[in-house]
Amino acid sequence: MAPDRRAFDDEIRGHIAISVKERIERGEDPEAARLAAMKEFGNLLLTEESMQAVWRPRWVERALAFGQDIRVAMRSLQHARGLAATVALMLALGIGANAAVFSVVRQVLFRPLVNRDADRLVYVRQGAPGLGSKNTTFSMAEIRDLRAASTKLGAFGDFSTLDFTLVGFGEPRVVKAGVVSGSYFEVMGLKPVLGRLIGPADDGPKALPVAVLTHRFWSTALQRDASVIGKKVRLGSRVATVVGVLEPSLPYPADTELIANVIASPHHLGATMVEERTHRMTELFGRLAPGATVEEARAELEAAHAAMMRQHPEAYPASARTTLVVRPFSDQVTAPARKVLLMLLAAAGVVFAIACSNVANLILARTVRRESELSVRAALGAGRGALRRMLLAESLVLCGAGAFLGVLLAQPLVGLVSRFAARFSVRALDVAVDPSLLWVGTGLALVAAVALAYVPRLPSSHATASPRPAVAGLRITPGTGRRLQAFAVAQIALSFVLLCAAGILLAALVEMQHARTGYDLRQVLAVDVPLPIEAFGRKAVDFYEEATRRVEALPGVQRVAVSNFVPWRDAGIMGPGFRFTAEGYDKVAGEEDPHGRLRIVSPGFFAVLGVPLLAGRDFDADDRADHEAVVIVSESVARRLFPNGNALDHSLWWTDPYFGKPKPRRIVGIVADVDDENVVPGPALTIYHPLRQLPYGGRLFVHASTDPYALVAPVTKIIREMNADQPVERAATLADVRATVLAPERLNAFVLSGFAAVALLIAVVGVAGVLAFSVSARTREFGVRLALGSSRAQVVRQVLVEGAVIATVGIAAGSALGGALGRVAGPNHPEVRLLDWSLFGAAVVLMAAAVVASLWPAARASRVDVVQALRSE
Amino acid sequence: MAEIPEDRRLELLQGTLDMLILRTLQWGPQHGHGIGQAIRTQSDDLLRVETGSLYPALHRLEKRGWLKAEWGVSEANQKAKFYRLTPAGKAQLAREQDRWSLLVEAIGRVMKVAPAGEE
Repeated sequence: MAPDRRAFDDEIRGHIAISVKERIERGEDPEAARLAAMKEFGNLLLTEESMQAVWRPRWVERALAFGQDIRVAMRSLQHARGLAATVALMLALGIGANAAVFSVVRQVLFRPLVNRDADRLVYVRQGAPGLGSKNTTFSMAEIRDLRAASTKLGAFGDFSTLDFTLVGFGEPRVVKAGVVSGSYFEVMGLKPVLGRLIGPADDGPKALPVAVLTHRFWSTALQRDASVIGKKVRLGSRVATVVGVLEPSLPYPADTELIANVIASPHHLGATMVEERTHRMTELFGRLAPGATVEEARAELEAAHAAMMRQHPEAYPASARTTLVVRPFSDQVTAPARKVLLMLLAAAGVVFAIACSNVANLILARTVRRESELSVRAALGAGRGALRRMLLAESLVLCGAGAFLGVLLAQPLVGLVSRFAARFSVRALDVAVDPSLLWVGTGLALVAAVALAYVPRLPSSHATASPRPAVAGLRITPGTGRRLQAFAVAQIALSFVLLCAAGILLAALVEMQHARTGYDLRQVLAVDVPLPIEAFGRKAVDFYEEATRRVEALPGVQRVAVSNFVPWRDAGIMGPGFRFTAEGYDKVAGEEDPHGRLRIVSPGFFAVLGVPLLAGRDFDADDRADHEAVVIVSESVARRLFPNGNALDHSLWWTDPYFGKPKPRRIVGIVADVDDENVVPGPALTIYHPLRQLPYGGRLFVHASTDPYALVAPVTKIIREMNADQPVERAATLADVRATVLAPERLNAFVLSGFAAVALLIAVVGVAGVLAFSVSARTREFGVRLALGSSRAQVVRQVLVEGAVIATVGIAAGSALGGALGRVAGPNHPEVRLLDWSLFGAAVVLMAAAVVASLWPAARASRVDVVQALRSE
Repeated sequence: MAEIPEDRRLELLQGTLDMLILRTLQWGPQHGHGIGQAIRTQSDDLLRVETGSLYPALHRLEKRGWLKAEWGVSEANQKAKFYRLTPAGKAQLAREQDRWSLLVEAIGRVMKVAPAGEE
């Protein structure tokens, strides 16, 4: 401020000089005149001090004024603590939900992949919608054909998902693994963080088995132990050397823990894997050749695929409706999540809108109550700008508090939402709380603050000319009343839509949870005791039979059985099933053979799981490899293939090429249908083989007479005694297996119900607020009514009716909106069939909520003191 | 402060100094000392504006655009800063005058009402 300062010194010197001259002219002594002028001027330092405030630059002044506004706002809000807390809380809910969802959306949908030139990467998918399989993956034979025909894809990478028994890192366990050829990592464009990845040198029969660990496995199971490089571990029957750790990235599929080369998997060297066209277990990735586009690659591969299907019609039945999809890799990773996340974002947006409209309502009501205060301020010279600024400061304080709480709230929510989103995109697994929370929160708060500051109308400017103190109290203009009601109706309508959506999910969940499964869920413990593929055969049968005997000897164990499939948990591992037919079954011309589920069970399996045997007998020890081939079928098989009810003792056989030459097997028993693939049971064509004739188990079922979990330790001990390297994992009762499978559905319903509950809560507060305001504005009217002989009950009824009218209009608007959304989403969501139920439920809930919300204002209206009310004006 | 006010001298009501300054400048440009003197003589020596309040007020009004300041030479041939009313300042003066007369009237009415029971 130096120039100001110097100019001011000049000005003061001038002032004193003029003063002295005047005094001298009046005849004072020059020296006395000087002293008098100085004295008159007063304390120069104090003057300069007050000048400093004037010389402050404009922004400092504004900032100070704003700080002052904020202080005033805080003081004024202290008198309305209840309102301030409600508003801040509602904004916190709205802002928190949005910040959390947005943060997840941003990271899942918009964060770039770590893969080099990820936009050149494509995913090739084969699907068989006719068999209900969106992704059948490929067989090696198919990959060879596609590879040979392609010029637009410069390089292919393949990945087969396979479980290995891993011995060498702590307890023996089954790891989720992938087997890749040497081109895989190069095509995917990934780098190691430690050691090296698998390359072309690791291909071929002469190569040594090697394994690469994924970053997730290395950091969670091995605590980032750098000494793992070079370590030899047992993978199934082979010994492989750990050569590297992959950078944090999306190994495909997401839960992969270890990736090995082809030589590490004897299965991959077998004739079935190499030759069999329908032995599909491999996923295919490609990198576009320079200059090629995804469209060109798609056209080329689709043509090659069509030619392949013509050449090998036996591998592509017409009913399977086999298709080929070529899409950018990033789409493959995020596509399923996109819709869900955008829906979530919309739900969060609706909550925010409801919260804002409600806050607007409360603030509007408060402003009307403050009309007298505002007109006094206007009369005292506060301009419209100043009043606006005051309101803005208040709403900024409120929204700031809301944003602060909201961001706090958002942090745990991010975890919840990303767990939810992880169902749809593996990218959501590593979503972290990031700064976007802060700026989204701040942004939303600013939007809300500005919007809220402009909601109330200011006293008109002519108020300045007539500073009549507004002693009349509340006077509600029709416009304000309508605006309040419109906000309340909008809240009800939006909450209604959310309630409906939540209702649909809840109804679906309830349906699933209460579906009858046909199993004895509580007392059956399922344990994974997998043998390596190579252990197939007599030795496997002996192993499981001895395990069965020894576990059955444990106290508290009723019976033990072996199977190859844990209901629900193993859903999908056997693919869409295999084709079969039966003796005397005449199919309609052109019809395909039915697909059946193949299950392998030991004698006693049905008794252990509580599945009733309807006819015939269970398997027994005589159903051996060298005896007659027998099967037990589910009721649906018997009904469908033997309409005359004579299934017993007739034969059926698999016709799928996978089984080679058809071999008839006699049906010795019929059991009740159980659907072990779907949590909502449907009819299931299931064919059970005896373990001794198809020696492949892997799952132990223990029927306990006491607490099943008490048996986990002794069972593990028995099996480790038999083989110290044998994994014994994932022990759980069938009830818990089912609960785990349902967890995502529960989470789904939970998240949306959460949104709906918040919306409902806000809407209830909103309706109550509007009515309370309307009641207090009409104190006089109620007083007159009561004085004229209205009963208090009539007054109460009037207020309740007013609440019900708001709710009804809101519900009507909401069902129009919800119905429209339902029809739009309808075709893709089977759950929409539950719409009617949830519409009704949501309407009942909202109506009840509206009535409850009206009770308190109604009670107040009925307590109006007649004399007081009449005197109030 | 510098001077102890004599018995009959009045403290300025808060917010009225700006109005007085604007009013004084209605007769033409004037420097700080002149403004102080004018208020003093026009109020028959009842109001004395201290320079410690006068100059901050002048600079504030200038900043708001109601006054414009120029260096000039006084009658006494002394270099001084002269303040002049801008059109915005004139409008502001009119507003303040209105407000002032209303306030006087309102306060006057209140003070004139005889307390009940004294009639």
